[in-house]
Amino acid sequence: MSGKNNINMSVKIEKLKLKNPVMTASGTFGYGEEYADYVDLNKLGAVVVKGLSLKPRAGNPPPRIMETTGGMLNAVGLQNIGVEAFIAEKLPFLRKFDTKIIANIYGESYDEYKKIARKLDAAKGVHALEINISCPNVQKGGLSFGADPKTAAAVTRKVKDATDLPVIVKLTPNVTDITAIAIAVEKAGADAISLINTITGMSVDIFTRKPHLKNITGGLSGPAIKPVALRMVWQVLQKVSIPVIGIGGIMNAEDALEFLILGAKAVQIGTANFINPQATMDVIAGIEKFMQMSNVANINKIIGTFKP
Amino acid sequence: MAKNIYIGEIFKNEEIAQDCFLMSVALHSTFAEPQPGQFVMLRISGISEPFLARPFSIYSFQRETDFCRIDLLYQVVGKGTQILAGLIKGSQVEILGPLGNGFEISQSARNLVLIAGGMGAAPLSFLAEYLDNKVCSGSSKIYFYLGARNSETLIGMDKINNLTCTAVICTDDGSLGEKGLVTQILAQDLKKYAPDQTMIYACGPKPMLKELAKILQGTKFKCQVSLEERMACGVGACLGCAVEVKGKKGMAAYKRVCADGPVFYIDEIAWKKI
Ligand SMILES: Cc1cc2nc3c(=O)[nH]c(=O)nc-3n(C[C@H](O)[C@H](O)[C@H](O)COP(=O)(O)OP(=O)(O)OC[C@H]3O[C@@H](n4cnc5c(N)ncnc54)[C@H](O)[C@@H]3O)c2cc1C
Ligand SMILES: Cc1cc2nc3c(=O)[nH]c(=O)nc-3n(C[C@H](O)[C@H](O)[C@H](O)COP(=O)(O)O)c2cc1C
Ligand code: FES
Repeated sequence: MSGKNNINMSVKIEKLKLKNPVMTASGTFGYGEEYADYVDLNKLGAVVVKGLSLKPRAGNPPPRIMETTGGMLNAVGLQNIGVEAFIAEKLPFLRKFDTKIIANIYGESYDEYKKIARKLDAAKGVHALEINISCPNVQKGGLSFGADPKTAAAVTRKVKDATDLPVIVKLTPNVTDITAIAIAVEKAGADAISLINTITGMSVDIFTRKPHLKNITGGLSGPAIKPVALRMVWQVLQKVSIPVIGIGGIMNAEDALEFLILGAKAVQIGTANFINPQATMDVIAGIEKFMQMSNVANINKIIGTFKP
Repeated sequence: MAKNIYIGEIFKNEEIAQDCFLMSVALHSTFAEPQPGQFVMLRISGISEPFLARPFSIYSFQRETDFCRIDLLYQVVGKGTQILAGLIKGSQVEILGPLGNGFEISQSARNLVLIAGGMGAAPLSFLAEYLDNKVCSGSSKIYFYLGARNSETLIGMDKINNLTCTAVICTDDGSLGEKGLVTQILAQDLKKYAPDQTMIYACGPKPMLKELAKILQGTKFKCQVSLEERMACGVGACLGCAVEVKGKKGMAAYKRVCADGPVFYIDEIAWKKI
């Protein structure tokens, strides 16, 4: 609920109630504190934190990022402080805010996924888990879980068994048929699906003949990927009945509305935060304005109104 | 919630040396006072290519009656700086900052030794000015080693000329000042300074800083360096601007240039990997 003019922006993703459909995308908003001076975190639908692994990870050697036309490549390599340090050092700060905290998790084995999920389940202040089965940057794990319906389903089941929290499975676009994965994780008990993660890409320095990224390949994000993300969200929506969260290249309210109109219950804002730390606030305000303009008081009257 | 994105208006954008521009931007007076070594993320309003902001060190800061003025020195090296160089008076830019940790100001060192190569002159002449105004008394002195490829690309002199400091100018081709790399000239002078009474500040291209690390290795000199790395967010959220630091037991460890730096003590950095 955003108060003004009786506009109701709240959405429900199974058990998870959000005051509005706008979240931050994992890896683009740190642990929340990095942007807390710029954004009133209380106003966000949810904060999705940087992907957490069981043990801290150093990440990839630099250069890790490169701007490309309409987007950027990153090969951060899932650098993070580890789930225990997150609970001890970052969660107490996040708990102070009236928003939902979603922990994005990443493992290299089923057992790791399970252990991370247990630890977060026991910690106070986490409202949902988002399983990253899709990060293209790490040689082991990541890609293989998300690229095969069987392993994607198995990870989902392991995490579901380890927690009572709602489980969102985040899909990779780097597959031949994303709907097959979506169907498999729904069957395995996923409460929701989020998509898309970054699209694997690369870029070459013509003078040195070297790749711009030390890792050679990286994940493409930003405005360039929005049409692909919309297409995949649309395809998945036709095959599953659990809620879908749209991600990919959302820079403003119009972009977010495209996903919502298709049927996504919520959206995540990633790369846009880098060029405008207040992007999430602008998107929320823009959606509200659009609702006023179109005389719609409840956001759910916009979601899924696509007319193909 | 306190910080904001500032819309700045360009009121000066001039080529002061070959491919090097001085840009003055007027900002709302609530812009926080920057410390030497801090930087801003700058974007040209209303363009989508390039779309990420670019980091630039603060060269000068001035509070006027109803606004503040920030000066940047930049070199044209690629797409973003090329477009920046074409901007006319009145154009708008988006500015985030001041960001990062500036230089730690030594109140006790008697010798304040500054070494700048190329665009490194921007943060270091701001630092020199600050030290000259706020720190230096009879007991401490500034020594400024300023290097450039040649006389045409040398920048920072206008500021240095107004300071009480010993300036040593060097150019790679000898067209101005001493001939040689700034690090070579410094290495010759190093014995003049007592390590425990000296603080060294440096900024410049990576090979220069790497060479400096080699020169200082095994000495007791304390040295702070300002590093550069490609950035996306500038505030510590994306982990894109990693620099390798010496980790435990030979394990790789990275710090964020934007939020943990850009100023680091030189012995913290894993120079072998750079
Ligand atoms: C903390 C900090 C302070 C800086 N201060 C200054 C300054 O005062 N004056 C100045 O001229 N430059 C400064 N730089 C470097 C400046 O940010 C880059 O030159 C600029 O981003 C290049 O943008 P571009 O679009 O023109 O180049 P691009 O087309 O993006 O790249 C051109 C070349 O510049 C290199 N480059 C790109 N971004 C950076 C970067 N962030 N750091 C180093 N090299 C880069 C690329 O690898 C490439 O070789 C600073 C960088 C940092 C991190
Ligand atoms: C620098 C960076 C780091 C990211 N880290 C993660 C991560 O740790 N876990 C994850 O699931 N997705 C990660 N992502 C993917 C984003 O959450 C998002 O899915 C993707 O960037 C597409 O959205 P965008 O175009 O709005 O950025 C990262 C993206 C970027 C740009
Ligand atoms: S530029 Fe994003 S963490 Fe430094």
